[in-house]
Amino acid sequence: MQAALTAQFRVIGALILRETRATFGTSQIGYLWAIITPAASTAVLVAIFSVAGRHPPFGPSLALFFALGTFTLEFFTKLGNSLMVVFEANKALLSYPPIKEPDVLFARATLIAATYALIMGIFFSCLTILDLAEPPAFPAAVMEAFAATGLLGLGYGATNAILITVFDSWRHIEKVLSRPLMFISGVFYVPSYMPPQVVAWIEWNPVLHCIEWMRSGYYSNYDSYVLHRGYLLTVAVCLIFFGLAGERLTRSRRTRS
Amino acid sequence: MIDLVDISKAYSIKGVRKTILDRLTFSFPRDKNVALLGPNGAGKSTLMRLIAGAEQPDNGRIIRHGRISWPLGFSGGFNGSMTGIENIRFVARVYGEDTEAIVDYVREFSELGKSLNLPIKTYSSGMKARLAFGMSMATKFDCYLIDEITAVGDEKFKKKSQAVFREKLPHSRIVMISHAMDQIREFCDCGLLLSPQGVWYFDQIEKLVDAYQQLMRRS
Repeated sequence: MQAALTAQFRVIGALILRETRATFGTSQIGYLWAIITPAASTAVLVAIFSVAGRHPPFGPSLALFFALGTFTLEFFTKLGNSLMVVFEANKALLSYPPIKEPDVLFARATLIAATYALIMGIFFSCLTILDLAEPPAFPAAVMEAFAATGLLGLGYGATNAILITVFDSWRHIEKVLSRPLMFISGVFYVPSYMPPQVVAWIEWNPVLHCIEWMRSGYYSNYDSYVLHRGYLLTVAVCLIFFGLAGERLTRSRRTRS
Repeated sequence: MIDLVDISKAYSIKGVRKTILDRLTFSFPRDKNVALLGPNGAGKSTLMRLIAGAEQPDNGRIIRHGRISWPLGFSGGFNGSMTGIENIRFVARVYGEDTEAIVDYVREFSELGKSLNLPIKTYSSGMKARLAFGMSMATKFDCYLIDEITAVGDEKFKKKSQAVFREKLPHSRIVMISHAMDQIREFCDCGLLLSPQGVWYFDQIEKLVDAYQQLMRRS
């Protein structure tokens, strides 16, 4: 049992190194860009809103408020999209028998999580240094929120990967369905300030809870009555279960050459 | 070493269903080298991929003892944008080997020289095959699965490969697919004949070769 686990960690480690190399190219600049691009796009968004004279919906800093929302949403979306195609992208690798499909899934998810942890760490450190934001009030809660978002993204991505195995058009349908996430996840507003009729609808969206959790951890006084951690974790665990069980059931369908 | 228990495998592509293996049960003899012979499309490579674990049977179980190689001769697992060395390191890590020792061995064996520092997509198919073969010889397995590997490279490289291969024989078993009967006779002790009519086991290599040649003449 222990030997099997060691072997699996070894395989996942090798895959992470390979993914890093394949995703970011030869140069160290490649990885740097992977960090700069999302940070820059958030910075542009913040700049536009600042020039437009918008007040931060919560707290003193517009940059901090948007960054918490956009990075959390982006982390989730990145997992969902990139894991969706993970099996087809790594099909050739499965000819090495020690490598099984869950390994390529976990390896890619780990790399994405590490990249986003770094992006967010650097971005929020910069905000703090530039005196645009305070450091997080409850760092442990921020990490929990990050982990919960990662789990939800892993489950969603794995489920997507299974769905496109059985129904290829899902990759297009998913794009359409996930488009409104930017608006229904509370990136631009505080869900607790919304009318109850609206909340009754948007609170079904698990990504909204990721962002709420993140803000509750970052701000010292973000009292969200919308946030329901149990709901988010239940959805995440169900999706992970569905994704992994589905992977096992559809494996022979995918491995045929 | 390898036990196949009641395995079936069928493909259905665009609604056409093709049965490759139908409830095959077979135990590979522990101390013998086994040939897989049969006409094209009889399922030799599929059987090999099943043994390796690169593919799942539709039904049945495959029980493996010891470390079994990936199907050699296969170079599809290379990442084209990664260099030869990076690809070698990846496989070495997957199998828990000492990466630098493996890189040294493959460098020596494959004679690819500086090309090892270039991306795989710049390689010719012969170079790729040399890299793939070098990699599999560098890794120690209890059983090597060989799919037409020795057809690779020029005369000199072929000789070299077969020499390395003979060194492995005292400690490791092989399962081999080949259309070259002299190779089959040299390396294998017994074998399976796969045909659309079914699968037969021959415990003498000459009888297997005879049966295979008869089958090929008839068709």
